[in-house]
Amino acid sequence: MKTALLSLMMLLWIQLAQANKYEKVMLEAIESLYQADSISQYQEVINKFDRIAAREADKWEPLYYAGFGYVMMANKSQQASIKDQYLDLAMRKVNKALDLAPGESELMALEGFIHMIRVTVDPAVRGQQYAPLSMQAFGKAIAHNPDNPRALYLMGQMEYGTAQFFGADTSEACGKLKSAVEKFSTYISDNPLAPTWGKKGAESSAERCGK
Amino acid sequence: MNRYFTIIAFCLSFSAINAQSLISGVVTDQKGGAIIGANVFIAETYDGASTDTNGRFRFTTTETGSHQLKVTVIGYANYEEKLVLPIEKLEVSIKMVESINQLEAVVITAGSFTAGEEKSREVLKPLDIVTTAGATADIPGALNTLPGTQKVGETGRLFVRGGEGYETKTFIDGLEVMGAYSPSAPNTPSRSRFSPFMFSGTSFSTGGYSAEYGQALSSALILKSKDVPEETRTDISLMSVGADVSHSHALSKGAVAGKLQYTNLTPYFEAVSQKMKWDEAPRSADGNVMFRKELKKGDMLKLYTNFSWSDFTVYQSGILPQDIDDRVALTNFYNYFNTSYRSILNDRWTMQSGVSYTRSEEQTKVNQDNYKEAVQGLHFKSVFTHDASEKVALTFGAEHFTEDYNFGYPGEAGLEQDLSFDKNTTAAFGEAEVYTSNRFVARVGIRGEYNSLQEAGYFAPRTSMAFKTGEHSQLSVAYGVFNQTGTNELIRIRSDLEDERAQHYIINYQHEIKGRTFRVEGYYKDYDNLIKFGDNNFDPSGYTNDGSGYARGLDVFWRDNITFKGVDYWLSYSFLDTERDYRNFPYRVRPRFASKHNFSAVFKYFIRSLKTQVGGTYSYTSGRPYHNPNLAGFNTEETPAYHDLSMNFSYLMKTNVIIHASVTNVLGIDNVFGYESSAQRDENGQYVLRAIKQPAPRFIFLGIFITLSKNKSVNQLPVL
Repeated sequence: MKTALLSLMMLLWIQLAQANKYEKVMLEAIESLYQADSISQYQEVINKFDRIAAREADKWEPLYYAGFGYVMMANKSQQASIKDQYLDLAMRKVNKALDLAPGESELMALEGFIHMIRVTVDPAVRGQQYAPLSMQAFGKAIAHNPDNPRALYLMGQMEYGTAQFFGADTSEACGKLKSAVEKFSTYISDNPLAPTWGKKGAESSAERCGK
Repeated sequence: MNRYFTIIAFCLSFSAINAQSLISGVVTDQKGGAIIGANVFIAETYDGASTDTNGRFRFTTTETGSHQLKVTVIGYANYEEKLVLPIEKLEVSIKMVESINQLEAVVITAGSFTAGEEKSREVLKPLDIVTTAGATADIPGALNTLPGTQKVGETGRLFVRGGEGYETKTFIDGLEVMGAYSPSAPNTPSRSRFSPFMFSGTSFSTGGYSAEYGQALSSALILKSKDVPEETRTDISLMSVGADVSHSHALSKGAVAGKLQYTNLTPYFEAVSQKMKWDEAPRSADGNVMFRKELKKGDMLKLYTNFSWSDFTVYQSGILPQDIDDRVALTNFYNYFNTSYRSILNDRWTMQSGVSYTRSEEQTKVNQDNYKEAVQGLHFKSVFTHDASEKVALTFGAEHFTEDYNFGYPGEAGLEQDLSFDKNTTAAFGEAEVYTSNRFVARVGIRGEYNSLQEAGYFAPRTSMAFKTGEHSQLSVAYGVFNQTGTNELIRIRSDLEDERAQHYIINYQHEIKGRTFRVEGYYKDYDNLIKFGDNNFDPSGYTNDGSGYARGLDVFWRDNITFKGVDYWLSYSFLDTERDYRNFPYRVRPRFASKHNFSAVFKYFIRSLKTQVGGTYSYTSGRPYHNPNLAGFNTEETPAYHDLSMNFSYLMKTNVIIHASVTNVLGIDNVFGYESSAQRDENGQYVLRAIKQPAPRFIFLGIFITLSKNKSVNQLPVL
């Protein structure tokens, strides 16, 4: 009896250790992702998330961060075709992650972000196709989690840019940006591995609104 | 107690044997060059590392037992190696094999211009087709600014490399479109029936195209319809020539969309004087319905149907003073239906099947005489694609065309007579595409066809290959045999004539660096089996397949969107040397539609501060031959050269409102396309010639385009 109990405890302990290891390794990797500043640093940490994703086939977080890393790499690249290549890779990660967690608001926000960066590669040509796709993804992200500060921030950013271009009223966009700043300080996800990026960008965007 | 001890001991020993292995090494390509950023790891574990700038890596692992050492990196095939751990120290040297990469691999560009999917390597973008000045949002109009085409202003059709207008065929989602152009009055340009707004991809081939496409001697215009419209929206257009309203409604993984359009040129013709005498200006009513649904991941069902009615009445004045004007009244009903289903069967197999149906009824009343042409066409097609490996893809399929044709005309003594035929063509095709590396690809295909009217079959081999000559440049060659049954006007009087035939030889060089594209293509085209009339043009029994001809030339294309900030421009030049002996030609001579030199310059400039896009197109076409029956010889004369400068302006008034204006032939040049001669001699015993000219010096278009959607930043700019 005692043996059985002990064996069970052992098993639980091993599992717990494994779970702790996942969380620990992820937190380390997430930290180095936020610290990364060059294409090679991003590639290195993406590789790490890829290894974790291969081991943890049911977890969406490593795929999310690998995808986010590729978006950052696209931002750092100069050539349009290279940017596209990274964005394609990012989209592949997001799609895979959405298969695992179809209702995850953060994944929808990242999808919108990918479309948004696509627009910046060639706004005149791509705006029409990808701008609505990105707005749609942000809209979906907010519908699934109205408190998601990243979705509010990016959507506000898109709306602000369009309104400014046409000399239209920016108040709706600014409202979103302000509420994004607010949510960044109040919203805490119950998932310790949830993304936290975007606060600074939202703050500086909201500041522009005041002027 | 004892048991406790055993367990504790077991636990301790478990960590004791937790030996470390140190794995290090270098990852290179086949030539020994370092690969940076490769992911080297023990599969199914967290342990691994990335390679540094020298391709080196090192990491430790505490895993034990049998494992896989894996290396993954973009552009190379995954590498795997068995390992038994622990190993105190392992030093490996890994050579990676390049994989065929869509973005880096060479593609066959001989004979083809593609616009689509917004990938940065395309020569044209879908938007280019609709924003080209002078094209007035007509697909063939925009493609006429590309090299390889000859401007034949009085038809509005695509004439490619010495080929006649009928030698270019249009395909939507792989299925043939019959009657792709709207009817127009004699010697006035017609427009494509299909709005560029419907398509996400356009591939315009000026020769050497795939074995999948048949029954086109010169050129294939392959259009890919959009998959799923992004969102629910309503578009309203108010134009100087009419109005339209369209609505698309997003469904889960699909959409339904519809459009209604009415155009009437009466007010326009009253405001701007026309050379032709219209009794009833052209009017048309169009409607279309579209349905799209993604049934399973990657499986797409598409339905599209279009109905259209158009009519006009025009007086055709006689050439000689005593000739009376003919009153020509035309009414056309057109219906096109296209459905296709694409299914991903598994990782390696894809199937696309579809049916298209065309029905066209055209009634022409010349004075008191009634002519009625009714055509029905049905096209079935299935294509299978098999990715045998990363480097080898096979495509094969079969198709069947049925065409039912009837032409009713007033015969002698007022009796109604008709000409009709039922034509069935069955075809099968297969093609293999083989990559040896990212630098070389070859495509070999064959097409077989059987025509029921002729009781004859045809084999058409097609082959092409491309070789990367540098990081930004490549060379392609193509060869193919192409056959096409004579036009309906010939088949209805003589159905057993064989297909006309052309062989294409093409060599193409393309250089592309960031925002600049240079392309030059040389070709030779050999025509044989062309239908030729006998001594009497009107006696079908004298018709033969003894005609022949050739076309050779050089096409040059330059596009640049970085040299001048905000300006995108392209230049096209085509040289053509062609002669043929066919129909009523007495010997080999340059046909009337063939001009030696064609030049186009297209520019687009977006003025940010004015929120206005300005576009301009200049086209030049050297003189075209014409026949003067008063002189000896055939097609001996030449028209003056053709010049046209067209402009367009799109002003983004609000996020969802666009005002668009376009003007063709800004300079008002009175271009001459050719001459027609009187049927009888005049009092001096001479035939009288009359110039075929533009119906009006300019065409001015004004429109307001409004988009209503939840997302206010959407507008119709790409439609214009």
